[in-house]
Amino acid sequence: MITTYLFYFLSFLAIMFALMVVLSKNPVHSVLYLVLAFFTIAGHYVLLNAQFLAAVHVIVYAGAIMVLFLFVIMLLNLNKETEPHKSVWLKASAAVASGLLLVVLVGSLKGAETIVQVNAFNPNIGLIENLGQTLFHDFLLPFEVSSILLLAAMVGAVMLGKRSIK
Amino acid sequence: MKALILLSSLGVITLLAEIFSFKKLLYPLVLLGLIATFVFNLSDWNTNMTYFKMMRFDNYAVAFTSVILVVAFLWFLMSESYFKEETSLTDHYALILFALAGSVIMVSYTNMAMLFLGIEILSIPMYILAGSKKNDLNSNEAAFKYLIMGAFATGFLLFGIALIYGASGSFDLAEIKDYITLHPANIEPIFYTGILLMLIGLAFKVSAAPFHFWAPDVYQGSPTVITAFMATIVKTAAFAAFLRLFNNCFASVSVVWVNIVWVMAALTLLIGNITAVMQSNTKRMLAYSSVAHAGYMLLALLAGNSYSSNAILFYAAAYSIGSIGTFCVLFIVAGAKGNEDVESFNGLGKSNPLLAFVMTAALLSLAGIPPTAGFFAKYYIFTAAFQSGYTGLVLVALLASLVGVYYYFRIIIAMYFKESNTETIPVQLNHKLLLIAVAAAIILLGLCPDFIIRLL
Repeated sequence: MITTYLFYFLSFLAIMFALMVVLSKNPVHSVLYLVLAFFTIAGHYVLLNAQFLAAVHVIVYAGAIMVLFLFVIMLLNLNKETEPHKSVWLKASAAVASGLLLVVLVGSLKGAETIVQVNAFNPNIGLIENLGQTLFHDFLLPFEVSSILLLAAMVGAVMLGKRSIK
Repeated sequence: MKALILLSSLGVITLLAEIFSFKKLLYPLVLLGLIATFVFNLSDWNTNMTYFKMMRFDNYAVAFTSVILVVAFLWFLMSESYFKEETSLTDHYALILFALAGSVIMVSYTNMAMLFLGIEILSIPMYILAGSKKNDLNSNEAAFKYLIMGAFATGFLLFGIALIYGASGSFDLAEIKDYITLHPANIEPIFYTGILLMLIGLAFKVSAAPFHFWAPDVYQGSPTVITAFMATIVKTAAFAAFLRLFNNCFASVSVVWVNIVWVMAALTLLIGNITAVMQSNTKRMLAYSSVAHAGYMLLALLAGNSYSSNAILFYAAAYSIGSIGTFCVLFIVAGAKGNEDVESFNGLGKSNPLLAFVMTAALLSLAGIPPTAGFFAKYYIFTAAFQSGYTGLVLVALLASLVGVYYYFRIIIAMYFKESNTETIPVQLNHKLLLIAVAAAIILLGLCPDFIIRLL
């Protein structure tokens, strides 16, 4: 019972913080609200008994990536004067397009409560042991291949960052 | 699998060159490595091996990998000078080789996780290499635009994968297909939404209208060699991935997406070709033409019959080889003249007959004029679409290719009928080799298309 109440409470917070990200004028506030939204999502992970995922989510997203965001925003020194002005048409078409996407998503989720559960929910799926089993057994190849991705990204970052020898 | 392992280890070896200082040897080493990969890849033919339930090297994968490797070999012949810059030489090699590894994953995946990883491994080096002319503002713009738009499209793709997982409970293509056949009446709406979101993500990667807006700016701003890579290998891999997903896994629910792809194909053909006419910058024109070519390939995707994979394979090969030829000539001419306008080609027929001849052959192939490979490529695509009853769309495509002939001929006319007092442009040996290979391939594939067309 309490988990249901917690779920609704966390969902309410998540949606509210997500709205605040978009609505607040100050970009630094947006980032801070995004951090809060990430925390509420981490709460959802805990409710699903996925503690490891929750911890990683807080450390990586709320911690590392958001701090990076904050630094970038502070370095860019965004304020009202430097903000580019978009034409009304652009704003209107963006609103229509994203509104349509919202309609599609809401429409598709409407029937979701009747979903036949294909795989029975395993409450222990989020524990580290099971995660490790999945990661190093079923998803071994993607796990190894993602090392190429990370290596490529790292090489690229170094290439863009280093000064060329004259 | 052999191709994937060889390419990624080759990438790591190139990085080691910096430490053990064999940078001089890298260029021949990479060329040899590509040949070796090609041979080992061919040994997978007809084996139909599945690895970890994640990748399957069926003939489809092997054929597309071979096309990608051949084009990559030609591409390396074209871009030796790109690997001359001392500071980031090994990085350029490594990034290109990793991108190739990503494209191998994209043509052979059987799991959504691998599809996502393949697309990312191909895209991230491309974002970086698009900005590899660090002091050029256009190059920076191209990299930035490509990164932002690409990340956005990847978001759609991931969201789609998540929704499909939510409905079917699996990332595996075969299991998703089973899900569709087992629940013919009550497929969840989120499954359809997932398909549409994935369609958007992939349409972005192949630069199909209305998701093509990034392509002209990115193609124009990036260094010419990288543009050539994007227009050929990235597009081939993306289409192979697209086809593998939609003509195999989602084929039985094609009602949901055929109309959308129909409109997309028509828009891509018309917008690509008509906008290309208005360009005076050759590189931008080729960018729009590459958008238009995505439209032709969408036709075969839409047809979804037994001709489709052969048609796309042949089209991708013909188009990539033709594009490498045009981009190479553009690279040489723009390098000598200092700008990429159509006027730079004036009088090339007199001053450099070889360049002009190869450019003509490549452009005729892109336009689809008979004795070249491009003609048969278009012919097979149209046959595939006809067999599935898309007569209206074939008519649109025919009209669009007539428009295409106009802008391709503008360059040919500039080369042969416009005067200009330019001296002969010196051409490097490997460029000469490449150009001769391209011309030979275009004519050979045009004369005996059976070579490739019966493969799959």
